[in-house]
Amino acid sequence: MASTAHQPSNSPVQSSDVADAGAKGVPKDNGKPNVPREKRPNYAQIHSRPLPIDVYPLPAFIPHNPLSIVRVAIALISQTLWPPISPLVIHEAYFSSQTLSIHVTDPQSVRALWEQGFWGKGSLSRSEPRWLDMEKRKRGLKAMQTSEEYTAQRRRERRQFKLERARLEREAIEEQRRAEARLAEASSLDATGNDAEPTTSDGVVQTEALISKVDAASMSEPEFVPADDDVTKETEEDLVAESSVEDGPFEIQNQEHLQLTMEEAFFLSYALGALKVERQGIHQSSSQLLRLFCASSTFSTLQSPQTLEEVLPRTPIFGNPIAPDNPFLLKYVVFHHFRSLGWVVRANIKFAVDFLLYNRGPAFSHAEFAVMVLPSYSHPYWSETTERREECKKKESRDWWWLHRVNRVQGLAHKSLMLVYVEVPPPWDKGGQSQDGKLDVGDILKRYKVREFVLGRWTPNRHRG
Amino acid sequence: MADEEEDIPRPVGANQEDIDLTDETQDFRFLDKLTVNASGAASLPKRGQKDFESHDTKLQSDTLEASRQAMHNVLSWTRVHTEKSRILGMYHPESNMAYVEKVKTKHFENMGKAKGGKEWLLPEEALFLIERGSMDCRWPVNKSNGENEEELTIEDGAPMSLQAAYAAFIGFEGGVGGKLTLEMFTVYSGLKRAGYFVFRAGCWDDDRGTLQPLAHHQDPNKAGGYLSRFFTEIWRRISTHMYPIPKANLQFGPLVKPGLYRSYADVYRLLQIIPTHDRTAPPKFHLESDPNNPFRIHYDVYKSGTGKFRKAHRGPPDFRVAVINARETSLPTADQLNDLLATTPYDPASPQDQMYKKLKHGSRNVILAVVDNGIPSYIRFSDSDFSDIKLYERNGRIPRGKGGGRGRGGGRGRGRGRGR
Repeated sequence: MASTAHQPSNSPVQSSDVADAGAKGVPKDNGKPNVPREKRPNYAQIHSRPLPIDVYPLPAFIPHNPLSIVRVAIALISQTLWPPISPLVIHEAYFSSQTLSIHVTDPQSVRALWEQGFWGKGSLSRSEPRWLDMEKRKRGLKAMQTSEEYTAQRRRERRQFKLERARLEREAIEEQRRAEARLAEASSLDATGNDAEPTTSDGVVQTEALISKVDAASMSEPEFVPADDDVTKETEEDLVAESSVEDGPFEIQNQEHLQLTMEEAFFLSYALGALKVERQGIHQSSSQLLRLFCASSTFSTLQSPQTLEEVLPRTPIFGNPIAPDNPFLLKYVVFHHFRSLGWVVRANIKFAVDFLLYNRGPAFSHAEFAVMVLPSYSHPYWSETTERREECKKKESRDWWWLHRVNRVQGLAHKSLMLVYVEVPPPWDKGGQSQDGKLDVGDILKRYKVREFVLGRWTPNRHRG
Repeated sequence: MADEEEDIPRPVGANQEDIDLTDETQDFRFLDKLTVNASGAASLPKRGQKDFESHDTKLQSDTLEASRQAMHNVLSWTRVHTEKSRILGMYHPESNMAYVEKVKTKHFENMGKAKGGKEWLLPEEALFLIERGSMDCRWPVNKSNGENEEELTIEDGAPMSLQAAYAAFIGFEGGVGGKLTLEMFTVYSGLKRAGYFVFRAGCWDDDRGTLQPLAHHQDPNKAGGYLSRFFTEIWRRISTHMYPIPKANLQFGPLVKPGLYRSYADVYRLLQIIPTHDRTAPPKFHLESDPNNPFRIHYDVYKSGTGKFRKAHRGPPDFRVAVINARETSLPTADQLNDLLATTPYDPASPQDQMYKKLKHGSRNVILAVVDNGIPSYIRFSDSDFSDIKLYERNGRIPRGKGGGRGRGGGRGRGRGRGR
C-alpha cells in the first residue's frame, strides 16, 4: 500500500496547529482561561544554559536611562568583591566497568546534567530520565504525560487509523464486486452485446467515488504534534516537586540513574570541570580517566574470559601504552570538536552512526547531521614500512556498500551524513614507565586533526535545471 | 505490524529534494497520457497506486490491462530514421575516434569537435550515438586492393555492429589514466539520457588535475578603502579574541577553570583546542602524482535547461563527476579526498543562505558516480567548514519566544518523518 498517499493531508493541519500553539504561548495578561489543551513546557527556559556552567553577563547599559549605569556598576563591584564561581556544583559520578558507562545517581545532578546541555541518557528511559514520572502515572499519581507514553498513544492511534483505512478499502472492493455482479446480471439479461464499454466507465466513476471516500478517511487521521520524540510534556515545577514527592499513598523509589558515555564524562570532567568521576571509590584525574577510557574502549569480553575490572590493574597507572588510533580517542576528539562549536552531540547507534549533531538540543530541533568517525593515516610515519602501510590500509578501508548502507539510513531519516576524518598522529604514549605514566591531555588532543565532509545523494533527475 | 511501518520515516511534502522518483513503483498508464497530449502544455501526469494483490474485480483487471496496453502503445510506436537525420560516421583506428563529414543533427551542438573539416567524435560520444541508433558507423576499408585513397568514401566502409562498437571504443584509448572504461561510458550515457551536456574534464589525459586556488575573497575589503579595512581588522581582533589557555589547564584540565564568565561564547572559546583542517590556506596535494589513482574528475556536466549553449565556450561546469568502480576501489581516504577536492574550484555557498544549507554546500564539492555492474549511484562530497560557523554565537543572538521555543521556522512542517 502506498503509504505516502495520505501524508500531505496531514501537514496543513499540523502546521496550523503549531501556529496556534505559538500564538497561545505569547505571554498575555493572566486570567484568561484559554488553555483547552496541554501546554508545552517552556523549553527555552528549562534549557537556557547550554552547558552546566553559569555565566554572569553585565546588565545592559541603556543610554537614555542613566540609572542603568548604576546597575552595571553595582554588578561590577559586587562581582569583584564576591566573585561568583562557576561551575557552582561539581556533579559526582562513578565508572561502571560492567556497562562501560558512567553513572550519575544523585537526582539533582541527573536533572541538571540533562537540562544543561542534554548529557547522558536515563537508564530506564529512552533518553531523558523519566522513569519515575512514568511509574507515577501508571499508578495514577500523576496526570502528566511522558514522551514514551505519548509515543505509545500515537502508535495506537496510528494502528487504529490503518485498520480503519484497510476496512474502508475492503468495503470498497466488496462494493465494486457487487456492482460488477449486478452489471453482469443486467448485461446477461439484456444480451445486447455492447456491454463492455459501460462497465469500465461505470467502474471508473465508482472508483473515483471510493478513492475520495478513502481520502476523506485519511483526512480524519488523528493529528500529531510536531514530532520530537525526546520532547516531554511537563513543566519544570513538577520536576522540582517530584524529587521530594510525598503526597501519594506510598512513595516510589527512583530506580533510575543517568548514564553518560565515556566521551561525555571525559568532556564534563576534563573540559568543563563539572564532573568528578570515581572508580572503586577513588577520584580519577583527567590523565587517569583517559587511560581508563582508552583501555575500556578496546576491551572486549569476547577476547578474554575476565571482566574489565580484572584486566585493569588496581594502580592508577596502566601498563599498556595507548595506541594513537584508540577508538575512544578518535571519537572523543570529534565529540570535543563539535561540542566546542556549540553543537549538542549525542551518541547514536540507532541511526547507524557515531554521533548526531543537534542545534541547541533534541527538545528544540531534529538533528540535522549524522557523524561517522573515520581514522586517517596521513602522517608519513604510517607509510614508512610496508607492514605499517598494509595495516593502516586495512583499518582505513570501507567499501562502498558500507557507505551506501549508512547513507541510506540518513536519507530516510532526513539527516545529512558527515564523514569526519581524524588524522592519527604517530605513537605518543610510552606506557606507564615514563613520568609516572602521567599524560598531558591537552598536548595529546592537539596532535589530532579533524576534517569534515558532508555527503548527500545526488539524483540526476533533480538537477537538470 | 503498525509499529514496524511507523518506524520507517517517510518523505513529507515539505522536503521534496530527497524524494527519488525512481524509488516509486511505476504505473505505465501515464505514458499513454504523455503521447495523447504531447502537443499541448506538458504537465506530468500523476502516478497511480499499485495494487499488490489481486481481488478479482473487473475494475482491477481492466486497470492492469490498460496499463499494459499503454506500455505496448509506447513500445510499438514506429520510430523512423529519416534520411535527413542519418549520421554517417567513420571509425578512425589510429585515434580510436570516429569522424563525421557532414554535420546534420542537433547532437553536434553539444558533442564532437571540429577539426580539418570533419567533426570528430570521442569514443563515448560515438558509442552513444551508435547505441542510440542515430549514427551508422563504418569500418575503414582495406586500402591495399589497388584503389586510390581519394575515391574511397565513408559509404564504402563496412558497417560496424553495436557489439563491435563496444569492443572497439571501450578500453583501447591511449593516455595514462584517461582510458575509457565501461563504467565511464555507463555514467556518460546515463547523464546524457537524463538530459545533461557531458564533456570530458580538462584533466582527462593528465595524471591528475591542476590545483584550484582559493578565490580572492578579500576583494570587497580592499574596495572599501583603508578606513573600513582598519575597522574590520579591529573588529575582527575584538570579536575573535582568544584567551590563552594556561598550560596547566590544558595538561590536567579543566579547560574552563572555576571562575567568573560573562558569556557562554567566552566559555566555548576556551574549549576550542582541537585542530581542524585549515580551509583558508591554499590547497595542496597530499599524495604523490599517480596515474593509477582512481579518484579523478572525469566529466564536466552542464545543465541543459539554461538558455543557449555553445560547446566551444561552455564556461565552468555545473557539476564535476568522478567515476568510481565500486568493486575495485573502497571509500577514499582523507588524502585521496583532499587531492580530489583540491582539483575542484573554490565554490562556497552564498552568504545569504541558511546555516544548514551553507554547511551542506561546503567550500568545494565533487560528485562521485559509484558504478557497480552498470548501476551508478551518485554521491555528492562537499568539504564543509564547520568551525567557520560558530553555533554558540548564533544561538546567543537569536531571541527565543515562549511558545515551545521550536528553534528555526524550518523545523516546523517537517512532521514526524524524521526520527530524532
